[in-house]
Amino acid sequence: MLYSEDLLGRQNADGGWSYFRGGSWTEPTCYALLALAASGTGHAAEVRRGMSWLQRCQRADGGFAPRESVQESTWVTALTLLLPPDTQGFDRRRAEAWTVDQTGRESGWVFRLRLWMLGADSSGESMSFDGWPWYPGAAAWVGPTALSVLALQKLAKRGEPANRSDLKKRIDQGVGYLLARRCHDGGWNHGSTRSLGYDSDSYPETTGLALLALHGVDDPKVTEGLARGEQQLAVCPSSEGVSWLRMGLGAHGRARLTPAAGIAGDGAKAPAAPRGVMEIALAALADSAHAGKNPFLDL
Amino acid sequence: MNPKKPLEPTRREWTKAAGMAAAGVAAAGTLESCSQPARLQAWAPVSIYRAASYSEELYGLVRRIIAEHALDVRGKRVVLKPNLVEFDAHTVINTNPKLVHAALEAFRAAGAADVRIAEGPGHRRVTLDLADAGGYFATVPNFESLFTDLNLDETTKVDFVRPLSKLKSLYLPNTVLGCDLLVSMPKLKTHHWAGATLSMKNLFGVVPGGVYGWPKNVLHWAGIPHCIADLHALFPKTFAIVDGIVGMEGNGPIQGTPRTAGVVVAGTSPVSVDATCCRIMGLDPARIGYLQLTAGVQNLGEELIPQHGERIDSVATNFALLPELAGLRLSR
Repeated sequence: MLYSEDLLGRQNADGGWSYFRGGSWTEPTCYALLALAASGTGHAAEVRRGMSWLQRCQRADGGFAPRESVQESTWVTALTLLLPPDTQGFDRRRAEAWTVDQTGRESGWVFRLRLWMLGADSSGESMSFDGWPWYPGAAAWVGPTALSVLALQKLAKRGEPANRSDLKKRIDQGVGYLLARRCHDGGWNHGSTRSLGYDSDSYPETTGLALLALHGVDDPKVTEGLARGEQQLAVCPSSEGVSWLRMGLGAHGRARLTPAAGIAGDGAKAPAAPRGVMEIALAALADSAHAGKNPFLDL
Repeated sequence: MNPKKPLEPTRREWTKAAGMAAAGVAAAGTLESCSQPARLQAWAPVSIYRAASYSEELYGLVRRIIAEHALDVRGKRVVLKPNLVEFDAHTVINTNPKLVHAALEAFRAAGAADVRIAEGPGHRRVTLDLADAGGYFATVPNFESLFTDLNLDETTKVDFVRPLSKLKSLYLPNTVLGCDLLVSMPKLKTHHWAGATLSMKNLFGVVPGGVYGWPKNVLHWAGIPHCIADLHALFPKTFAIVDGIVGMEGNGPIQGTPRTAGVVVAGTSPVSVDATCCRIMGLDPARIGYLQLTAGVQNLGEELIPQHGERIDSVATNFALLPELAGLRLSR
């Protein structure tokens, strides 16, 4: 409830939300709308204004721009598909089609032919699955892949997709991508697990997000990821990291700590209070998930 | 900003050279063009000063550097752009906050109307948490009110006139587009792809993750050295202050090993500052792709870069290189 009031107080005059201050962006607007929907307290007028702003970011190709002034559809399109059907007022079919069509550039035959001609190995597990890029024409990464999987899973659960087999194929590909991009410590980072022979460490926020997208997946890699997520949650100083971990672990029935109990472990720095719109909205969404209604999965 | 600034190529000169360079990438492992920029008489001078640690002496040192380069920032908007990438307590990835605070105080003392700290990390989304872990909140009073997350800033689309990279345009943050002086403050590090990451490569951090994502992978696909050169051309009013007190060798920019060099390097020409830093690390600047593209191999000679303070050979220390980068080693 307090989070909702905070979010409402930060809504811009145009109906959208910024990250901290200034102009509206699609990402914080989607999370704010999702948090307001999860709060179940109405705010119909504010939600309508938010949706009205969001509609203006849908482009002719069906995708959404990260803000009105950007003339390119990006990964934020997946976020719009996470919104509950009764808060939507845009062309969902075209947004869905745009999302299903996106793959990382490394998935393309041109890139794979180039690797083959250079004698490079493109057969490794991490190159075997089609994930999603942040921006069209770039490689796939963990963040947009996890959010796109969540969005398509939600559509499939609602029975909405225009082409169910195509949707299932992309969800399976995305899950495969996430399992293949796990770091050596069991968690997830932005998506680069190893470079020039050196292993990279995972981050709390991406571990939580990946675990959320892998809900219901029975795989030893997920079990190891959960163990890593619990380790991270015990010492995570980041509000955003804590929220994603709570939702990710909770989706597997593993979240046991409430925010009031204090999350930092012995000697660890307590997580910072939520600062910007993203952190406030994610904290609200994590609370909702903890209370039994995960807005990424249930709404 | 600096009326006495000698012989840093103007944007027009650079654009002409860049266009020529774009016409062809030469053999022999270089990114030279068929027609390189005209040979320069000299670059703007570079300051090289010893600094044994991140002590209070840095405050006086940065003031001295600003005076030495006759930077007139009275009434101007200055943006300090450190290099914040990731945090690992076991190594030294980021620009030390003490040097950034010293620069903040020095530019304020020089009469700047506004001095902000701004950065857009490429991997971690929660920039304030990263800055906190890196010691910025503890070192810089009121850090949060002075800081702009360039990943989430207001943006304007900027078209490249004659890009070297495959990019035609970029959305860029208004905070850096609107400032009078951008101060690039990298850490002295080797880089596993670019060879060295210094004041020019540091400009990758101005590309907004809110538009392009984390990492800013469009730059990788468009060509890393070429994008570095393009971004350099977009920000001609850049001053460089390099944190070389403790740098990083080996598998930089994140997984390398701390290496003490004990220097601060600064100047109005990012090209000459970066070329000098390469020599200090034992790298041949003429073999660094983005320096080749920007200046031309024939313009990277040590004799073309006037120096204040220490001589390069008195502070140089060979940074360890990954085997793949052994060919970049400078012959002393």
